[in-house]
Amino acid sequence: MTTHNHDHQNPYHESDRDEATNKAMAERVDKMEALLLEKGLVSKDAMDKLIDIYENDLGPMNGAKVVARAWVDPDFKQRLLDDATSAIAELGYGGLQGEHMVAKENTPKIHNVVVCTLCSCYPWPILGLPPSWYKSFAYRSKVVVEPREVLKEFGTTLPDDVEVRVWDSSAEIRYLVIPERPNGTENLSENELAEIIERDSMIGVTMVSAP
Amino acid sequence: MKEERKAKSEIAEMDGLAALPRKSGEMVFHDDWERKSFALAVSLSGQGLFEWHEFQSELISAIKDAEGDDPDHPSRGYFESWQLSLERLLEKKLA
Repeated sequence: MTTHNHDHQNPYHESDRDEATNKAMAERVDKMEALLLEKGLVSKDAMDKLIDIYENDLGPMNGAKVVARAWVDPDFKQRLLDDATSAIAELGYGGLQGEHMVAKENTPKIHNVVVCTLCSCYPWPILGLPPSWYKSFAYRSKVVVEPREVLKEFGTTLPDDVEVRVWDSSAEIRYLVIPERPNGTENLSENELAEIIERDSMIGVTMVSAP
Repeated sequence: MKEERKAKSEIAEMDGLAALPRKSGEMVFHDDWERKSFALAVSLSGQGLFEWHEFQSELISAIKDAEGDDPDHPSRGYFESWQLSLERLLEKKLA
């Protein structure tokens, strides 16, 4: 994780329940489930599948796998840069609803960073739910004017000769940054690479570091 | 070709008070009943028993209720409000 953390702790999201509360809630939910199963309104299979989708596929993992593939497969990277929507679909990641994906590659001379100045457009099927700082007015307004300063807040200091490009998302276009592959990762497998690629690097506010 | 997996954006992208619990973009469940309650609501809306925005409105008002005058110390957690909202909505829909 980055040391920089804009995310506020949401009091709703912490579990400090005692056992009795948990037991009572579990009984309430079980009772409802039993009733709905009996009425044939839900099925165990459908529920398990939904949980799997929301719990495992909403995270930044999909994006990390796309980037890892691009790092190890130059042909895929080219397809990703030419037409990211199709290249991402090759890996089986769908869920985009009419939005067009565009991939931007970071190089030693160009650093890309993504924002949505108007609202909070975000490639969520690929990167999961947007972090709260992404939606904050502070980030949205400042990154366009002073991208280097914002990047510094995330611990990313770029040499002066690196050009920073800020991409403004819209309802139609969602961006994915392909971060630079760090030195010292030559021996890592595609799966190992995917594990070191964090969400923030695919928004462009951090770099990927070797493990 | 893998089977296409789809989360619904109206659920995944809920904003404000109703926003799903998450950590670094990923959904977080603490206890098993939360998982089950979540799946029940999503499953039922998928069946068309109610529209997602109907559930979302219930959820927001339940969370506001729990907050009262002290948003930092709500009287119940996110998924307690979630379950309560689902109970209220089902009472209306299955009555």
